[in-house]
Amino acid sequence: MGFTVHFPVLIVVVMFFTAFISPLLYRWARKLAAPAVLSALVAALVMAAALLIQVQQTGTYYYHMGGWPPPWGIEFKADPLRLYILLVVISVSLWIFIYALRDLGHELKTRVIGWYYTLYSVLVGSMAGIVLTNDLFNLFVLMEICAISACAIISIKEDRECLEASFKYLILSAMGTGCFLLGVVMLYMATGYLNYGYLYQALVEAFNFYPLNIFTAAALFIVAFGTKAALFPLHVWLPDAHASAPSPSSAMLSGLVIKIYAFALFLMFYEVFPRVVLEAIPLSEIVLWLAALGSMFGSIYAMLQTDLKKMLAYSSIGQIAYIFMGIGFHHSLALVGGFYHIMVHAVTKAMLFMVAGVIIYSTGVRKIDQLAGIGRVLPVTMVAFTIGSASMVGIPGTGGLISKWYLALSALEIGRPIFVLVILASSLLNAIYYMPIVINAFMHQDEFKKEVKPVPPVMQFCMVVGMVFIIIFGFFSKPVVTLLEQAAALFF
Amino acid sequence: MTPVIMYSCRASDKLRNTLAVATAAITFILTLSLYRFVVGGGEIQLTLFEVLPNLEISMRLDLLSFCLAALASFIWLLCTIYSIDYMAKEHACGRYYPVLIFTLGSCQGIFFAGDLFSLFVFFELMSLIAYILVIHEETEEALKAGYKYLVMTIIGGLALFFGMIIVFELGGTVSLGVGVILHETSLLALLAFICFLIGFGMKAGMFPLHVWLPDAHPVAPSPASALLSGVMLKTGAYGLIRVIFHVFSPEMLQAAGWNNILAVLAVITILLGSAVALTQTDIKRRLAYSSISQLGYVLLGLSILNNNAITGAVFHIFSHAFMKSILFLAAGAIIWKTGLRVIADLKGIGRQMPVTMGCFSVAALAMIGIPPLNGFLSKWTLAMGALDAQMPLYVLVLLVSSLLNALYYLPIVIPAFFEMPGDNNHDHHDDHELEFNVQEATPRMLTVMIILALFTFIFGLTPNNIAFSLARATAEFLLLGGAF
Repeated sequence: MGFTVHFPVLIVVVMFFTAFISPLLYRWARKLAAPAVLSALVAALVMAAALLIQVQQTGTYYYHMGGWPPPWGIEFKADPLRLYILLVVISVSLWIFIYALRDLGHELKTRVIGWYYTLYSVLVGSMAGIVLTNDLFNLFVLMEICAISACAIISIKEDRECLEASFKYLILSAMGTGCFLLGVVMLYMATGYLNYGYLYQALVEAFNFYPLNIFTAAALFIVAFGTKAALFPLHVWLPDAHASAPSPSSAMLSGLVIKIYAFALFLMFYEVFPRVVLEAIPLSEIVLWLAALGSMFGSIYAMLQTDLKKMLAYSSIGQIAYIFMGIGFHHSLALVGGFYHIMVHAVTKAMLFMVAGVIIYSTGVRKIDQLAGIGRVLPVTMVAFTIGSASMVGIPGTGGLISKWYLALSALEIGRPIFVLVILASSLLNAIYYMPIVINAFMHQDEFKKEVKPVPPVMQFCMVVGMVFIIIFGFFSKPVVTLLEQAAALFF
Repeated sequence: MTPVIMYSCRASDKLRNTLAVATAAITFILTLSLYRFVVGGGEIQLTLFEVLPNLEISMRLDLLSFCLAALASFIWLLCTIYSIDYMAKEHACGRYYPVLIFTLGSCQGIFFAGDLFSLFVFFELMSLIAYILVIHEETEEALKAGYKYLVMTIIGGLALFFGMIIVFELGGTVSLGVGVILHETSLLALLAFICFLIGFGMKAGMFPLHVWLPDAHPVAPSPASALLSGVMLKTGAYGLIRVIFHVFSPEMLQAAGWNNILAVLAVITILLGSAVALTQTDIKRRLAYSSISQLGYVLLGLSILNNNAITGAVFHIFSHAFMKSILFLAAGAIIWKTGLRVIADLKGIGRQMPVTMGCFSVAALAMIGIPPLNGFLSKWTLAMGALDAQMPLYVLVLLVSSLLNALYYLPIVIPAFFEMPGDNNHDHHDDHELEFNVQEATPRMLTVMIILALFTFIFGLTPNNIAFSLARATAEFLLLGGAF
């Protein structure tokens, strides 16, 4: 094992440490600040990759902070699934950060950029923590950190709209955390444990004594994580927040942050609540139907939008629903589909927000109807948009198809073809709102009228990376899928 | 192997005309070079890589794929040559040629696909790329037609996806190389069949999913319409053949009676397509509706499911590809030269463009089914198949639709030669002498049309020509259990 044992905690610590030093660096050695965050992210990425290799060889292991064993000590768990999510989180953050380097100067005041680095590192660190932790209280703390830093990277833009949106987000998010804390209290009262593994065992017995408490806790968890992950109908904060934020923040929030909460809900369902509880109350069923509704309504709302970023934000609501479906089906194939979608959608949506960012950067246009003919002046950008939307729709050759494939397959496995129809219908809706933009961008007869600033090469590079990955996910998905199948098999 | 090379040479294609023609020619030659191998009964099943466990991109070559690939690449070659002159007047050639060749690539991909998944991938690729051909003119009308096309394509794609998933779920594989995948009828299998019917039928312009076709085909540039109608529609029929013979089995479909769904839709498609074609005033729209009804023949042949009928269907894929490309190319030549699209304006055009209209007439007669043209042979074989299956009703349908064909083609052909131009475009037509005022299309365009017209002759003249015997062999091959 050697030094790798400490990697889980080091990943989190490195990010938090970077968060502390980056404003200082920004103040006194401005040139070093961005490289510092970058190198922290790269280091975290390397550690996560090393851990994954390690875990694949030796199996899941637990890390006890300070050597204190649970139930009292803080425990981190490193299993293939968590490390997969961690890897996605860190690599996508790294990618978005590279993009942000160029875009931030345009949207933010120079003074606050150092703080942005701090918030960004805190956000990444807390997400990594949420993924790795194996303890409810720890999860609560990290969720708070995550929520606050997420609000802050919206409101850092300091205009009216952003403040309003982030305030809305803050309130709802606080409600979510409140619900979560209440749920945790219920479980603690019933069992006396906070550690996932211990809870899992203790709940089987406690369920006989305190069924109501445990029901309530489960309900509270759904509300808590549903709010934070924008599960329909708890999504109301998302469109404003994601649309008004600076583009790198939107990419981050839509691409990663909401998924982390979906993943946390998954952990609750599969690692905290034992089967007995889940069989007694149709929790998965509720999640499933909400997800089905969400995938429809997200798309329908998206159709009505006139602002490009708002549309993308609503589309996220539709897409996160697929992930919830993956959780709700309670089948290993569905998990593969759902988690594959976490990765695909993280990359796709982040790229689409980058595209939106580039369009705003170089032309200042935000409205969809003003994008006519823009494909001629920003070809790379709009090709990226095209590929991104193809992946959203699930056109073969893009990653979106693979996740839909698995979700649909598992819907059939559990004998509910109706959900295949839901998936297909929502794909069709996606097509209906994404395609006209693409068509208009390339095929419109009028020339694009606005003045166009050239797109910096770094931004173009980031978009090209996104496109390449989306296509790789579509064709060479086998290694990831195999990994996920192994990981999902652990839960059944 | 060869398909792989062909595909790669397609992807790296650049835009110059000659290069485009050269690629199309190379494709055709490479495909032809497979002839010996295929006729000897050879098959290749080649896995490129696995996308997911049990789900791969693979290539497959057998008689059926060879037939269609050879046909497609041949028509493509001619249309590309034709395009050089036709498109010289048009804008955005830099976009047109790569797209044309890329579509050829994905079309070949469809025909050489070794499993449903790769078929699906290439099918979607082709359909989506063809969108760019459809809206090439970028007019309001074209964009509208294109949007309709796109939405329908996506619906079709999703239906295919659904069908494929069901097959994968029930059979555990989607490979076309393992013989019949689904042996038992069940509700899900029926659902899968219907999904495939929607997905591929959409492409083939089957009623009631044909609504995109009459809008999309006429607005495309003529060589592209020729390809859309002549070749790309066939991919839908091809997909259905694959599904009927390799996913399900003919016996099973007949036992379950599902082929009747196809038959009923095919009959409606044939009659409706012809009937609506009658009412069209735009020449290209009329041709597009005619395509719908002609594809109905192919579907009808498929639904009858016996040797003669399948031979007829496959052969009709050939003959319709030739006939319809001539018609569209001729219409294109007329539009290119004179700008006339409305049928009523075409009086006397035969004197102005005798060769073009000559070819047009040959193809029109073939459509009607006048011997010794190829249309006759396919109808004859289809009718034989229908009689073999004790379905004289279908023969009646074929005859009625031939009559309708005659009703809508002859009023183009006859006035074109024997009436005076009604307009004041030409001042010296007062006497009733046959006066030729030849203003033909360019030699290159004419050559292409003449070659195609010759083929309609050759393929119709004798039932022992290459195309027909290939079709016959394919039918036998398919009925003998296909995949083995």
